[in-house]
Amino acid sequence: MAIAALKRFVADHVAPAAFIPPKPRGEKVAVVGAGPAGLSAAYHLARNGYDVTVFDALSIPGGMMAVGIPDYRLPRKVLQEEIEYIKRMGVDIVPNTVVGKNITLEEIFQRGYKAIFLGIGAHRSHKLGVPGEELSGVLQGVSFLRDFNLGKKVEVGRRVAVIGGGNTAVDAARTALRLGAEQVTIVYRRSREEMPVNKWEVEEAEKEGIAIRFLAAPTWILGTDRVTGLECIGMELGEPDQSGRRRPIPIPGSSFTLEADTVIAAIGQAPDLTVLGKAVKATGWGTIEADPETCATAQPGVFAGGDAVTGAATVIDAVAAGKRAAESIHRYLQGQDLREGRAFDVPKELIAHKELSEDMEYVPRQEVPTLPITERRSNFREVELGLSEEMARREAERCLDCAACAECLQCEAACGPKAIRHQMKEEYVELEVGAIILATGHEFYKPQGLPQYHYGRFPNIIDSMEFERMCNAAGPTGGEILLADGRKPESVAFIHCVGCRDAHSNTYCSRLCCMHAMKQAHLVKEKTGADVYELYIDIRAGGKGYEEFYERVQREGVIFIRGRGAEVIPVDNRLVVKAEDTGLGRPIILPVDLVVLVTGMVARADTAEVAKTFHVTRDKDGFFLEAHPKLRPFHTNTDGIFLAGTCQGPKDIPDTVAHANAAAAEALVLLGRGRVTIEPIIAEIDPDVCAGCKVCVELCAYSAIEFDAERKISQVNGALCKGCGVCVAACPSGAAQAKHFNDVQIMAEIEGVLA
Amino acid sequence: MSQEFEPKIVGFLCNWCSYSGADMAGTARIQYAPNVHIIRVMCSGRVDPSFVLKAFREGADGVLVAGCHPGDCHYTAGNYKTLRRMPLLAKMLEQFGIEPGRFRLEWVSAAEGARWARVVNEMTATVQKLGPLNWKNHVRHT
Ligand SMILES: Cc1cc2nc3c(=O)[nH]c(=O)nc-3n(C[C@H](O)[C@H](O)[C@H](O)COP(=O)(O)OP(=O)(O)OC[C@H]3O[C@@H](n4cnc5c(N)ncnc54)[C@H](O)[C@@H]3O)c2cc1C
Ligand code: SF4
Ligand code: SF4
Ligand code: SF4
Ligand code: FES
Repeated sequence: MAIAALKRFVADHVAPAAFIPPKPRGEKVAVVGAGPAGLSAAYHLARNGYDVTVFDALSIPGGMMAVGIPDYRLPRKVLQEEIEYIKRMGVDIVPNTVVGKNITLEEIFQRGYKAIFLGIGAHRSHKLGVPGEELSGVLQGVSFLRDFNLGKKVEVGRRVAVIGGGNTAVDAARTALRLGAEQVTIVYRRSREEMPVNKWEVEEAEKEGIAIRFLAAPTWILGTDRVTGLECIGMELGEPDQSGRRRPIPIPGSSFTLEADTVIAAIGQAPDLTVLGKAVKATGWGTIEADPETCATAQPGVFAGGDAVTGAATVIDAVAAGKRAAESIHRYLQGQDLREGRAFDVPKELIAHKELSEDMEYVPRQEVPTLPITERRSNFREVELGLSEEMARREAERCLDCAACAECLQCEAACGPKAIRHQMKEEYVELEVGAIILATGHEFYKPQGLPQYHYGRFPNIIDSMEFERMCNAAGPTGGEILLADGRKPESVAFIHCVGCRDAHSNTYCSRLCCMHAMKQAHLVKEKTGADVYELYIDIRAGGKGYEEFYERVQREGVIFIRGRGAEVIPVDNRLVVKAEDTGLGRPIILPVDLVVLVTGMVARADTAEVAKTFHVTRDKDGFFLEAHPKLRPFHTNTDGIFLAGTCQGPKDIPDTVAHANAAAAEALVLLGRGRVTIEPIIAEIDPDVCAGCKVCVELCAYSAIEFDAERKISQVNGALCKGCGVCVAACPSGAAQAKHFNDVQIMAEIEGVLA
Repeated sequence: MSQEFEPKIVGFLCNWCSYSGADMAGTARIQYAPNVHIIRVMCSGRVDPSFVLKAFREGADGVLVAGCHPGDCHYTAGNYKTLRRMPLLAKMLEQFGIEPGRFRLEWVSAAEGARWARVVNEMTATVQKLGPLNWKNHVRHT
């Protein structure tokens, strides 16, 4: 699966959800650095109700995403939108402020900030350490990209040599090419496999005409005051070093010279710690010393993460560190342990083995379209164009669904009462029981089946369950009735009978949806005062107090229109419901903000399977079938198995409770007696006639027939026999007979009906 | 005007599905041909092929065996045995000169009152077209 490409597709096409501000906590937290680590920490802290200020040394926020990664890989508009979103959450970003110079860490604490996160990145280039580094025409990769991105004048010559093999080197080379360099060569001391950069970035660079000299390192930058060339030496790979990559060793006598008028050094970066003074400790690598998991530094209240701690890495690593730090800061401020109950590693589990069917067709990965090579030079347009919707769908369909859960553990973290235990394993439990009550309930009709309502395609078309969730005080909007963009609706339409009373879905009436649609209409009136329309075929308000409730919502101003909602279409920012008002006898058009599809109850998708397991039958609509529609409404035809609730058919809560109590009572009758009476209809074998052929033994599904080897005859165990008569029909000698259904009786019946 | 021929059809119905299905047709007040005379058995697997022969010999113009849909038999697998026995019997009946339309095996569930009515109407129409069988006399005279 091209996961990155799919994520990009979603990010490009889905606007971030409206931000619902949390309850402010009051504590102030300072974040130093507006790169991905800092912004991620700020985002998560703000979501948690903290008052966050971000200080950044540069004039624009975004860190390396703004001044390192070039436009053709990360369009600035996208970045700007993300940052705007974080700002809208209440995060204050203060530019042009070098912490350590304009304000110190102590001063930040003195200003009332309770904790500080350092996400200062790694913006200082490592020196090449070869003679000639001071010549004009020698540039540092990071500053070259930064100056360019900040709109400063940067010039490159005709022949550019870039030293290094990471993102900075490749981006500097591709930028130089776009600035007009004729010949760009990357000099890298290891081989292609070791390049710490995405494979496809290297391929794109090569397609654009950039040459790469692998296994070569500079030894001397040539020139008197301007660069004229670069002396290099060939390398070979020796034993792996600490990083696991094979260490390059110079090959004596393999020197060569490259002509160059610009040399860009991009061999690695470290954070600029000088400004921070002695407050935080540095590692031997020149990075900030901090716990890689909790992000805590030696100084209480100070946390650090991102490139500043790891050295140059990736945006996603920095975002993850910011998120971890935000959790640690929250725990620190709440006086909790930084580690307790926290999982830092993404748990690795064996993905379920999936049998691939033979006829499964091989579908190749969708190639992400790119800007043609000829259009890339001299501009900074985005190179990777992203998947089209159709391509994204096709790519997503390649997923084999072998692991539906991404093991992100967010559910566990989010559940307050700790009801989710991710590590729990399914187990089979054997229970010995005297009765079984099936109470598996129902599902709701999925409105995708009726395309005229456009459910799932536009945000303000929802079904009754979603509406119910929104009204819930514990729901995503805290019980407020809101549109997708966070506004209050001014008009709402309820369309009744979605998936019911309709030859295209189900013909039955679901019985309770009229009532819950009216309850929901009442809630809309109460909570928003919006105009509410109910489009119905008939109102089914049978039941104690129900008709009175119908009268009441009418008095509250809910407008009832008799006619099935025919279609919902989006027009501008609103939705238009088309219907026929059968009262007026003409078609009507209703412009509204929110449409609620009142969906009916349907049998669960797995009822067929459950029915098989318990030997019960289903009715024409798929619900479990009762033994008799009037006299045995919660019994099944299988002794000891009873039905309760909507698994038998649509019901409201009072009916469900009554049905369930009745089923329980019937089950108790069985248990209370402690004995079961079996039907007298069983098979018997006449020992004098039985020939001992054993035909019957094999046929019995209940193993009720045993063969008596001594007497050489078969015998029926009356307690096991269910009386189907299968053995009787097969017995060649007529020895097996079914009581009450024996051959003589049935023959007489045949004669009787034909007499 | 000659009176239309009213065939006599014997139906062997399993207790749990088809008999309940016929009951359902009744409770739902569905109108259908009155030509099938029902004999209830616990399972379609109880239907001994000799019952079918007996019915024809006693003067039936058609015989219908109905049970639960495969997989739904109240006794798990009784109807699978029916499914194996009845086609064999059908072949034999054909060799006896009984037209295929006169013998039928059908699956009707307890919920399928309408289906039961349709099966009966169809079969009645078919047998009506074939005319009286008169196997009773035929058997006696040869
Ligand atoms: C939006 C909405 C509003 C409503 N408002 C009202 C109202 O105001 N008043 C009212 O009276 N009624 C209302 N109802 C109806 C009410 O929800 C139902 O009557 C009631 O939920 C039925 O209860 P039940 O136990 O039969 O089924 P369910 O509530 O569906 O419970 C069945 C349970 O069985 C579980 N299950 C399913 N299969 C299996 C299996 N194989 N193994 C183990 N577990 C299984 C399911 O996960 C589920 O938890 C409303 C319904 C909706 C949708
Ligand atoms: S209860 Fe009302 S909304 Fe539900 S199916 Fe019946 S008529 Fe339609
Ligand atoms: S009647 Fe059915 S259950 Fe009883 S012994 Fe015969 S085959 Fe088994
Ligand atoms: S089929 Fe009949 S004869 Fe054969 S063992 Fe069973 S009862 Fe006896
Ligand atoms: S019970 Fe109906 S076919 Fe067996």
